[in-house]
Amino acid sequence: MATKTHSTPRLVNRFLLWFCKDELVESIEGDLFEQYQFDRSSKSKIQADLAYFIHVLNFIRPFALKTTKTSSRNIMTRHYFSFAFRNILKHKPHSAMNILSLAIGIACFIFIFTYVKDEMSYDKFHTDYQRIYRIPIDFINDNGERLPDATTPPALAPALKNEFAEIEEVVRIFPMWGGSYMMGPDPDNLFQEEEILRVDPSFLKLFDFTLLKGIPDSALNQPTNIILTERMAKKYFGDTPAMGKSVIVNSGTEREFTVTGIVNDVPYNSHFTFDFLMPITFSNIDENWGWYNYYTYVKLQKNATIEQLEPKLQPMFESHIEIDEGELPNIIYSQALEDIHLYSQLKWELGQNGDINNIYFFSALGIFVLIVSLINYLNLSIAMAFNRSKEVGVRKVFGAYKSFIGKQLLVESFLLLFTSLVLGILFSEVLLTAFEPLMGKKLSVFQPENMQFLALMSIVTVSIGLLAGLYPAFHMSSFSTSRIVKVMLGTAGSSGSVEGIRKGLLVFQFSISVIMIVGTITVYQQLEFFRKYDLGFNKEQLMIVPANSQSDLQGFKENISQLASVQSVGLSDGVLGGLNWTFTAGYPESVLINYTVVDPEYIETMEFEFLAGRNFSREVSSDSTGYNIIVNEKALEDLGKDLSIVGDQFPLDEEEDSLIMGRIIGVVKDFHFTSFKNEIKPYAFFYRNNGFANASIKLSSSNVNETIQQVEKAWSEVNPGAPFDYYFLDDSFQKLHSREENLSTILFDLTILAIFVAFIGMFSITNIVIKDKIKEIAIRKVLGAHINGLILLITKNFMVLVIMANVIAIPISYFIMKNWLDGFVYRMDLSLWIFVGSAFLTFVIAWMAIGYQSYEAARRRLVDSLVYE
Amino acid sequence: MKGTNLGEFEELILLVVCVLYPDSYGLSIRSAVIEQSGRSVAIGAVHSALSRLEEKGFLTANLADATNVRGGRRKKLFTITSAGRQAVEKNRNLRNSLWDKIPELAWKGLSYGN
Repeated sequence: MATKTHSTPRLVNRFLLWFCKDELVESIEGDLFEQYQFDRSSKSKIQADLAYFIHVLNFIRPFALKTTKTSSRNIMTRHYFSFAFRNILKHKPHSAMNILSLAIGIACFIFIFTYVKDEMSYDKFHTDYQRIYRIPIDFINDNGERLPDATTPPALAPALKNEFAEIEEVVRIFPMWGGSYMMGPDPDNLFQEEEILRVDPSFLKLFDFTLLKGIPDSALNQPTNIILTERMAKKYFGDTPAMGKSVIVNSGTEREFTVTGIVNDVPYNSHFTFDFLMPITFSNIDENWGWYNYYTYVKLQKNATIEQLEPKLQPMFESHIEIDEGELPNIIYSQALEDIHLYSQLKWELGQNGDINNIYFFSALGIFVLIVSLINYLNLSIAMAFNRSKEVGVRKVFGAYKSFIGKQLLVESFLLLFTSLVLGILFSEVLLTAFEPLMGKKLSVFQPENMQFLALMSIVTVSIGLLAGLYPAFHMSSFSTSRIVKVMLGTAGSSGSVEGIRKGLLVFQFSISVIMIVGTITVYQQLEFFRKYDLGFNKEQLMIVPANSQSDLQGFKENISQLASVQSVGLSDGVLGGLNWTFTAGYPESVLINYTVVDPEYIETMEFEFLAGRNFSREVSSDSTGYNIIVNEKALEDLGKDLSIVGDQFPLDEEEDSLIMGRIIGVVKDFHFTSFKNEIKPYAFFYRNNGFANASIKLSSSNVNETIQQVEKAWSEVNPGAPFDYYFLDDSFQKLHSREENLSTILFDLTILAIFVAFIGMFSITNIVIKDKIKEIAIRKVLGAHINGLILLITKNFMVLVIMANVIAIPISYFIMKNWLDGFVYRMDLSLWIFVGSAFLTFVIAWMAIGYQSYEAARRRLVDSLVYE
Repeated sequence: MKGTNLGEFEELILLVVCVLYPDSYGLSIRSAVIEQSGRSVAIGAVHSALSRLEEKGFLTANLADATNVRGGRRKKLFTITSAGRQAVEKNRNLRNSLWDKIPELAWKGLSYGN
C-alpha cells in the first residue's frame, strides 16, 4: 500500500528532539506521526499541525525529559534566573510599573497595527486586484470647478472594451440607489432587500467572488437569472439546494427569477457589498452617453500598464460626448481598485470608505505610544541598574567575571520584556474585542496571518529592550571595583550624560501626552459643536417610517394623526440627511438645486423657520402643480434673487423656446442636511399629493415605546402584511458624523493609556531620584530647611521639564488640530482655553506623580534617613 | 512497598496491553483506552504510564520492523511480564474478596438515581 504520507511540522519535531530522551524518541515520533496522518485526513492542515504541537507539548513530562547534567554552566544559568526573579520581586512596585507600562505600549501598538493592516487589506482578496481599476468622473461646472463623482455613463464600459486592446474585461454595476425590493422564495414569504446589484455577466470574470454553485460563464446570461450569496440562499431556502429554484422579486410588479448561482458571502474587506446579483436588463444603454449612473470597472491585460491607458481615456471620452460651445467637458480618469477604500471620497461611493488620514493618524499614535513606553523602560532600567552598584561591587569582590554581571542584567531585562510582551499581546486582544462595535468588524491578534507580525514584533521588542539592558549591563560590568566602592561612598559624581538622556526622554514623553490631550479635547469639542448646532429644523422626537411604493401612506397618515401621542405627520419622498434628487433651475443661467417632494404638513412637522412667504396650502390649487416651490436662503442666493421675489413668477426652465415660469412661495432659513464637512447647499421643496416614500412623525408623548406600538398597530391596519420599519432622525444625523465619533472614542481611550504610561514614567523616576536624595534632604532638615522648601527642591526640576514639554508640544498640536478642523466647513474655533487646559492637566498629572512622594520624603523622620551614618 | 503498586490508570493500561496482544504499542493502546473508558487521554500520558510500568518491571518492550505509516520509525511493542501479571491478579483478587464481603444490607435503599 503506497499511500502518500504527510510530513510532520519540522520545527515542532526539532523541539521534540531537543527536549526528549534519545532512547524514547523513535517510538514517540512514530506514534505522533501516525496520529498526524490520521488528523490530516479528517482536519485542515492548520488544525492537524496544532494538534500535533499540543501532543508534543504533552510530552514535556519528567519521564521523557533529558536528564540535565549538572555542569557549572547550568548552575550559573539557574543562578541568573533565580537572582533575576528575586530582584524583580524585591522591587515589586518598580517591576510592576515597568512591565505594565511596556505591556500597555505594546498592546496599543499591536491593536493599531492590526486595525491598520486590516484597513489596508481591502479588495486585495481579488487575485488580480493589481490589474483592476475603476473609472470615475469629475463633473466640470460653468465656473470650471471639478465635482468628483463615482458614476459614469453606461456606454463607457463597452466603448472602452472595443477601443482599447489593453483592456481584458469591463463590467458595469448599477446599484439600488437606496431603494429596496420585496423578495422571497414565494409570494407569501417576502423580505425587504436592499443589497442588490445589477451587473454585466463579466462581473464574475473580473472580480473574484467565487461561485460555489453554477457556471461563471453563463450564470448571468438570461434576464431572469439571479445569483444569491450563501447567506441569502440559506435565508430563503434553508438547507434545501437553492439552484434552479425561483425567487420572487416585487418592485411594484411581481417577477420571477431563477437561481443560477450561489456565491460566497462578500468578505467584509470589499469596498462594496451585495446579497443578490442580477443582470442589467435596460435596453439601449450601450449607446447612452447622457446618463451618469453606472460604475465602470476595467481589468487590464496581463502585460498592459495603466500608464499606457490613462492618457488615452479622456480623448476617447471626448470623442463620444457632445460638447456645447463654451462648455468644458467632464474628465474621466482611473483609480486603482486597492486605493478605493482608503483614498476615494467621491460623491456616490458604493459603500462607506475608510480614510487614509485616519490611517496615518492612528499609525503615528501607535508608534508614539510604543516609543513612550519603551522610553519608560529605558529610563527605569538605567535608573534601576545604577542603584545596584553595591550589589555589583560585592559580586566583583567575590570574584565574578565581567561577563557574569552583564549576563545577570540581561537575563533580568529579558524576563521583564518577555512578561510585558505576553501581557501586551493578551491586552491588545482585549482592546480589539472592546472596540469591535466601533470598528464594525471582529479582528483578532491571533488570526493566522498575524503570526508573522507577532513574531516580528517579539523580535523587535526584545532587541530594543535588550539594547536598553545592554547599556547598563556593560557600563556597570566595566566599572572597576574601586570605582564602585567610590560610588557607594558617594565620592564619584553621578554620570551627567545619563541624567541628560533621562530628562530628554521625560520631556519627549510629556510632549506626546500634551499633543494627545489637545487632540482629544478638540475632537470632543467639535463633536459637541455639532450636537448643539442649530440645524435649521427640529430633529428631536422625530420618527421616520420608510415605506415602499405599494404601501398606503396617506391612509397610514390619517390613521395615526388621530393618536394623542402624535403631534403631526408629514409625508415626503426622501429624508433630510439621506439621498435626494437634484434639478436645475433658472434661466438663462441655471443652478443645481437639491429637492424633496413633500406635503404641507411635512414643512410644519420639520419646523422649518420661514423668513418670508408661506407654507404650501391644500386650498391653493396651483401649489401642487410643481411650479410653486419653497426654497432655502442658499438656493435663493444661487438663483441670484432676494426675498422680494417671493410670490412673483420667475423663469424656472426653458423648453423649446418657451420659458417655464415658476413661483417661489416661501423662503426658509438655511438648514444642514449633510455632514458638517460640507457647506450648506441649495434646497427646494415641491408639493405633490403622491409619490411619497417616508412618513415623518412628530411625537408629543415622552412614552416612546408605547407610541411606537400604537404607530405599528396603525401601520398594520392599513398595510396588512407589509413590514414595519422605523428610525429616529436624530440617530441618523448622528451617523453622518459616526467617523468623528469613533475617532473621538478611540482617541480618548488611547490618550488615557498614553497619559497613564507617562505618569508611570514620571512616578518611577521621581521615586528613584528621591531615594538618591534622602540623605541630602535629611541634612538640609537638620540645618533648618522648611518642608515646603524641600518639596520645591525635589519638584522644581520636574516642573521645568513639564514646562519644556508644553512649550514644545503646544505649537505642534496647534498645527495638527488646525489642519484637522480645516476639513470641516462648519467648525468651532481653536480657543486658547484648550491649550491652557491641556497644560494645566499635564501639571496636575505631573504633580500626582511627584507631589505625594516628595511630601513623604520631606516629612520622613530624620532618624530613618540617617540611621546608617 | 511503594513503586510496585499499581495506580488505577496504570492498571487500565496494563490490562489494555494484554487485550491488544500482540499488537500493543503507544497509539493502539491510546485508542483502546479512549474507546473502552471514554475519557480523553493524551499520547504523552500513555507513554508516560508505559515507561513507568516498564521501569517497575511489569512490561517488557521490543522493537518491531519499521513501516511506512510511521514514517520509517519502529514500533515499540509491549508485552506483560510475570511480575505484571502478578500485580494485576493481586489487584483483582483484592477487589473480588472485598466485593464478596459487602453485606446485602449496604445496598438497601440505593438506586442508580433513575
